[in-house]
Amino acid sequence: MMKQKLSRNVIVAGMAAVAIAALLGLAGCSTTAGVEATGKTTWDEQGARSLEKNVVFNNSGLKGDIQIVDIKSAMAGDVMRTQATLRSKDKDTLPFQYRFEWYDGSGLEINSGAGSWKPLILYGREAKTIQAVAPDSRAREFKLKIREPD
Amino acid sequence: MKIEMKVLLTAAVIGAFSLSGCASTMQYGDAGSAKPLTTEFGSSDLQQIAEAMVDSMITFPPMVEMTASRRPVVSVDKVKNKTMQHIDTESVTDSIRTRLIRSGKFRFIDRTTDAQTIEELKTQQDSGLVDKKTAVDFGQQIGAEFLLTSNLSEIKQKAGSTTDVYYKFTMSLKNLKTGILEWSDEKEIRKVFKRGTFGG
Repeated sequence: MMKQKLSRNVIVAGMAAVAIAALLGLAGCSTTAGVEATGKTTWDEQGARSLEKNVVFNNSGLKGDIQIVDIKSAMAGDVMRTQATLRSKDKDTLPFQYRFEWYDGSGLEINSGAGSWKPLILYGREAKTIQAVAPDSRAREFKLKIREPD
Repeated sequence: MKIEMKVLLTAAVIGAFSLSGCASTMQYGDAGSAKPLTTEFGSSDLQQIAEAMVDSMITFPPMVEMTASRRPVVSVDKVKNKTMQHIDTESVTDSIRTRLIRSGKFRFIDRTTDAQTIEELKTQQDSGLVDKKTAVDFGQQIGAEFLLTSNLSEIKQKAGSTTDVYYKFTMSLKNLKTGILEWSDEKEIRKVFKRGTFGG
């Protein structure tokens, strides 16, 4: 009886070890989904410009590390510019990557897939602004993505 | 005891399989990836430089004013590569030129394809194959109003197991008539490599 119980314990322990090993193995290769912030610019009948903002956290780990304090947008001639203020919630220096994607008035992406990830370093509890300019005058909406380095 | 051995063996096999998920594989990567592999000039550095230069140029207030009503014609000069590396600097200026053209603010002339242009015009004029009414005459091209010039330099420092490389890309837009630099900006990139205690 004792021997059987022991071997069952070993089986359970073995299974647990396999599960942990598999989890670690997967985690080693996975890329993180991160934070997404969107801003859409609209004009009312009087011609006043406004920006609708929305922030989505897809990654709870990142939510504890970073905060999007503010999103602003302005026009440089007919081209949309945007700025996001990010704040680190951590006391250590953290590396991130970010990229902007741009959409036109009908929600179609401009130069689809052409954007590149840019590195960003946030020192402990530091707030930093990142800026981007739309590729052309069609842009009305942007999406900011932030993730941990791959 | 036999069961224990079996369990351990299974665990080892499955463990090995799960690890092999990270062993040598071949796959497509993200062309916009910002993962640095060495301190050498890489694809992400090129993309960062191109985006920074174009963003700065098309939002510079005098440029916004100038491009509001017309699309100035620009020529691109070769990048002065002052680094110790062999870098395809034409690729950097190509990226910048492409982005500027796609912004709809500037037009470009391309001096690198002049030989082919001359050959084509000669054929149109002299071969007798082309209808004279549609043949393009020599001396009709538009002269560039501006010249885009750039410099790439590096400062490399090495101390013990740390290599620190600083890149600086400077770009200017020169008015060919007056010689005045109408716009200029620079992008700095720092890459630090620390060699681990164990190999790598």
